Amino acid sequence: MTCALNNLLLLITTGAEETGKKAAEQGAPELPNFISLLYERYGRTALVHFLHTWQNVVFSLIIILILGFVAYFSSRRKTLLPGKLQNLMEMAVESLDNFICGILGPRGRKFTPFLGTLFIYILCMNFLGLIPGMKSPSSSINTTVALAICVFLYVQFTGIRNLGIVGYLDHLAGNPRDFITWALVPINLPIHIIGELAKPMSLSLRLFGNITGEDILIAVFVSLGVMALSFLNLPVGLPLQVPFIFLALLTGTIQALVFTLLSTIYFLLMFPHEEEKHST
Amino acid sequence: MTYQTALALALPFGLGIAAFGSAFGLGRAVSAALEAMGRQPEAAGKIQVGMIIGCALIEALTIYALVTVFVLSGKIG
Repeated sequence: MTCALNNLLLLITTGAEETGKKAAEQGAPELPNFISLLYERYGRTALVHFLHTWQNVVFSLIIILILGFVAYFSSRRKTLLPGKLQNLMEMAVESLDNFICGILGPRGRKFTPFLGTLFIYILCMNFLGLIPGMKSPSSSINTTVALAICVFLYVQFTGIRNLGIVGYLDHLAGNPRDFITWALVPINLPIHIIGELAKPMSLSLRLFGNITGEDILIAVFVSLGVMALSFLNLPVGLPLQVPFIFLALLTGTIQALVFTLLSTIYFLLMFPHEEEKHST
Repeated sequence: MTYQTALALALPFGLGIAAFGSAFGLGRAVSAALEAMGRQPEAAGKIQVGMIIGCALIEALTIYALVTVFVLSGKIG
């Protein structure tokens, strides 16, 4: 029992030391998570090396498993007078549905599963990093670019399906109707295409920058707290990072909301809009 | 002047200018939202949601500058 405790303490202090060294080299400190702690001690085994290479995927899988279990257990026996878990899930689904259909209209009901899952998944990813020993997968550019590419491809596919290929190209060229708008097509088309390509870039960079910034902020204040008590020569520190954890809760929620809202608006732009509402 | 010196001088200035611009824009957005809330307190919920979303969009441009600083600061050492 004490041997396990000793091992755990050794693991944690080694991890803290390696994080400090990495911070000194790269300038952007990062709190250790359980995979990087395992990697410091047992990095030569194949399993831990594999986990360390794919650590964002491992954390995403943890979230997916938790969300999957909650979804399964809350919808196993659907009763008309729901119990607590089913009631909570119904509240979440209904508020997301109202939010998305409020923007997209009644035909947006088809997109509620995708956009609602996006919101819940990004929210859980942002919050996972605040648990000690875990890391937000969305603090890596790979995860956010993957999400943004999914949204981008689905939006373009929806545009082609709703407007038809000719209508889609027409929409990209800025709806040329009379001579002047036809003459402006060589200007409008590249601008629209660049705008379409800029959308997933901005989505991914916004989420990545915010979550990484929050993580670095918390790590810097943790190291400040440890330095404040460094005269004790013990691995303890003042909990100076607690106000910033609350700030990270707030910005995590806001970023998930903004990602979902912007994806919803990109879908709205791809629906056929009536001529009188089309603004130049 | 090596490129490392140039980067080390320019990056904090760039980030400071981005932060200044974002503070200016956010101040205008929040002040407009608060004024609207004062005029019509019943709509305060909707106005608040719109303000939060607008603030996140304005903040995103500063975050782009921050990400650029992260990426380039690795080239200094």
